[in-house]
Amino acid sequence: MPSIEVSLRDLERLLRRRIPPDELWKLAATAKCEVDNIDGDTMKVDAKDTNRPDLWSAEGMAREIRLRHSSPGLPTYRAFKSRIEVLVDGSVSAVRPYTACAIVTDLHLDQAALSQMIQLQEKVASNFGGGRRDVAIGVYDLGRISPPIRYTTVDPEGVKFVPLDFEEEMTPREILVEHPKGKEFGHLLAGAKRYPMFVDSAGEVMSVPPIINSNFSGKVTEETRSAFIECSGFHPDRLSTALNVVSTALAERGARVGQVKVRYSHKTIITPDFRPRRAKLDLSHFRRISDLPIGPTQARDLLRRSGYNVLSRKADIVTVHYPAYRQDIMHERDIFEDMLISHGYDRIQPQPPKLPTVGASSRIERFSSLVEGVMIGLGFQQILSYTLTDKSSLFAKMNSEEQPVMELENPVSSNWSVFRNWLLPCVVEFLSANTHVDYPQDVFELGDVVIPDDTQETRATDRRKLACATASAEAGYQDIVSVLDATMSNLGFAYDLKPSVHPTFIRGRGADIVTKEDLIGVVGEISPQVLENWKIEVPVSAFEVDVTTLFGSLPETELS
Amino acid sequence: MYLEKGLPEIRLVEALKRGPLTLKQASRLVPELDIALQWGKKRNWVRIERGTIMLLSAPEQFPEAEALEMISKGEAVSDELTKILAQRNLVEIETAFAEESKHLEGKTVSKLTPELLSSGLWRRVKIRPYDVRLLGAKLYPGKLQPYNQFLSELRRRLIELGFREMKGPTIETEFWNYDALYQPQGHPARNWFSTFYIKGSEHGSLPAVSTRVRVAHERGIPGSTGWRYKWDPRKAMRLVPRAQGTALSARTLAEGPLIPGKYFAIARCYRPDVVDATHSIEFNQVEGIVVDDSLTFRNLLGILEMFAREVARADEIRFIPDYYPFTEPSVQMSAKHPEMGWMELGGAGIFREELTKPLGVDVPVIAWGLGTDRLAMFKLGMTDIRELFTRDLDWMRQKAVV
Repeated sequence: MPSIEVSLRDLERLLRRRIPPDELWKLAATAKCEVDNIDGDTMKVDAKDTNRPDLWSAEGMAREIRLRHSSPGLPTYRAFKSRIEVLVDGSVSAVRPYTACAIVTDLHLDQAALSQMIQLQEKVASNFGGGRRDVAIGVYDLGRISPPIRYTTVDPEGVKFVPLDFEEEMTPREILVEHPKGKEFGHLLAGAKRYPMFVDSAGEVMSVPPIINSNFSGKVTEETRSAFIECSGFHPDRLSTALNVVSTALAERGARVGQVKVRYSHKTIITPDFRPRRAKLDLSHFRRISDLPIGPTQARDLLRRSGYNVLSRKADIVTVHYPAYRQDIMHERDIFEDMLISHGYDRIQPQPPKLPTVGASSRIERFSSLVEGVMIGLGFQQILSYTLTDKSSLFAKMNSEEQPVMELENPVSSNWSVFRNWLLPCVVEFLSANTHVDYPQDVFELGDVVIPDDTQETRATDRRKLACATASAEAGYQDIVSVLDATMSNLGFAYDLKPSVHPTFIRGRGADIVTKEDLIGVVGEISPQVLENWKIEVPVSAFEVDVTTLFGSLPETELS
Repeated sequence: MYLEKGLPEIRLVEALKRGPLTLKQASRLVPELDIALQWGKKRNWVRIERGTIMLLSAPEQFPEAEALEMISKGEAVSDELTKILAQRNLVEIETAFAEESKHLEGKTVSKLTPELLSSGLWRRVKIRPYDVRLLGAKLYPGKLQPYNQFLSELRRRLIELGFREMKGPTIETEFWNYDALYQPQGHPARNWFSTFYIKGSEHGSLPAVSTRVRVAHERGIPGSTGWRYKWDPRKAMRLVPRAQGTALSARTLAEGPLIPGKYFAIARCYRPDVVDATHSIEFNQVEGIVVDDSLTFRNLLGILEMFAREVARADEIRFIPDYYPFTEPSVQMSAKHPEMGWMELGGAGIFREELTKPLGVDVPVIAWGLGTDRLAMFKLGMTDIRELFTRDLDWMRQKAVV
């Protein structure tokens, strides 16, 4: 969720009232924001609703809070007709096909307002615009632009201009390699033969979206009185929402918004479009889901306090208008939530449902707790490890041959890059972290491992395993076999030991644990090489048993 | 007798050196065959396969036989062997003490012994008093891992409240993890920085229900516009380690839940993050669903209130508007823990119809989640979330179970 910084003084100015400090969290909550921390005049909030970019600025928060508290109904914005045109060249269709643009006049931005504009533009592009891929936003000093503006493409080496906050001229290709924004967003143009470009009629480059504006016109300051805004990307709907969010935020500060003609080869579109959108809801559905006795008059009030105007009502069916900066309304439920927020969650009496249900744990968990009981009875301390580990711990350090595992494509650290496919390494790793602690150490882990399995829907299958180890100067193979035997016989399973060669164990002191049908595990005295790999200086004997297999052989009627 | 003729297992081994024997044959050659087989198998000398006894390895030495020999000559043997021989009732352990104990009459003894008891001599000796305040050697009993114990207690609590446990795979398709939950494919959580992906070109398969889910994303359901974008089945088939426990709820709904039904899961989840005292890339989510035709928003608040009381022992709570892509309306609950103060305890919402209807569920479904790891940390006296999976054996040994 986007994290937003606002100036409290600026917020109060927009709200046209003081905010008592202890009311702050509640007011922010009505704008679906959660106060993270306050440092002097700076308040940091988490904007909870990732689908409401209109709430990601001081202007948007203030607008929403005013709606909830003074019930003005639908916020309306007018856009005057300007003569500015944007001519779209057909070549952009191959790289970044659409744009939506506006102009803004009568701007008077102080530092607080300016930083809100920049922050909003960034948050919308990154959180709503898919990291600038779907929506990139540029704001320019209109006074430095000679219309008409062209949205076209350019050869990566075909033009030179000074990018924002730089001093020397660069080609677009150089910007992608050298400019910090070029490095950050260059991948969005990877493979493109020509780059998109906004350029004015004087041939002055305005920007190469979605990378960077020019330093000449693409910079807005406190002195800027009029601005040009463009959104570029792939989905006209999303561009239109982004443009409406950014331009109405400026309108909240008294600026005037003007429409721009965007001319494609086959059609002309006028943006922004502030006409309210229309939706229908059924009040009986609202009463049903809210369990609140809300009549038409009260519903109308709740709707107005959520920024909706009621257009018409026929019995319980209500048609409403909602503002053009919102795109999150897909279903009447979205409107119901707005009504509930306006009503106040704290004014609704909670009522636990009274349903005749029977609780039950899953069978495997019930079986697992029986296994735990036996292990604890044998004096073993349970441990718990991450299921993510690294290949070397699973194989090389265990003297074991590498096997297929499920591996992460984007691990944050190589320490947690694969899923364990057996459990014993986790137990040995635990022992190696406790070499300074009193021996003997008797520990066990009961947990899931992940085995690649092409026959499964998810190409993998989980197996619950029990791994158990005893580390002590005296204990050896016979001792761990006693534990294994006690475990198996107390769980009621017959098994045999079959001598086997498993390089994790000392040769001649390792065995497969088999039932009539299956190989269910291994037992043995850990090889000194493995102990040395893990820097363990006492003998360790251990076993691992596949609990899922044991469990699978139980009749359905057991443990259910 | 054994001293003369040899121990039964030795006689069996000797007999087998001439080749495998059926059980019948062996019983004629070797008296007390059952004892012979018991010890022969235990020593891994012989094996029975389909009624035939086979020699696995012929031992070069027979320590027990040698020990018997030595004892007969009055020589001492190791305690371990003596113990085995005694177990087999081949020798009787006599201690010289029994004879000597007569001299103890009227004296102070340090230990009450079986001899003193059987001879009745205990009446005529004095047992030395101990300093009863002295502790014995330190013992470490087997115990549950503390965090696991916390989770087990939580599981029991939820079952008592009428919830049924759900289970599901660690590796999921994006379909069950996101698409089936009506989380659009362009959602910010569905990228490299917020979701782990499984390496390789391998993709999972899509269930039949995916065609209905696709329509809900692209065009909606009656009464909804949907997300309005082109849904990509290849993306839905990508494999991810479960990033949210809600994936289990999606599977439960698609399988056809009980109505009324209450479900929960304690699900191991995985998300990329900077690993520090408050963030872990592997963690448990505790969450679930309630399914019934009668459910309302007031019930949703009621469930959260019940959790606050029953799980966190909090009596003061706050409900705050929240957002999840799959619920509408959505609520976050903060609770005032008696000692920890205000904390975000959980969230809940009513699943969107765009989610439930394509999965075949036509009644309201309340989805809830609890942030229990902070509670666990508090209960276990931890300040670092990584300590939940502690590697500190000493600490676990000291930790009281209550």
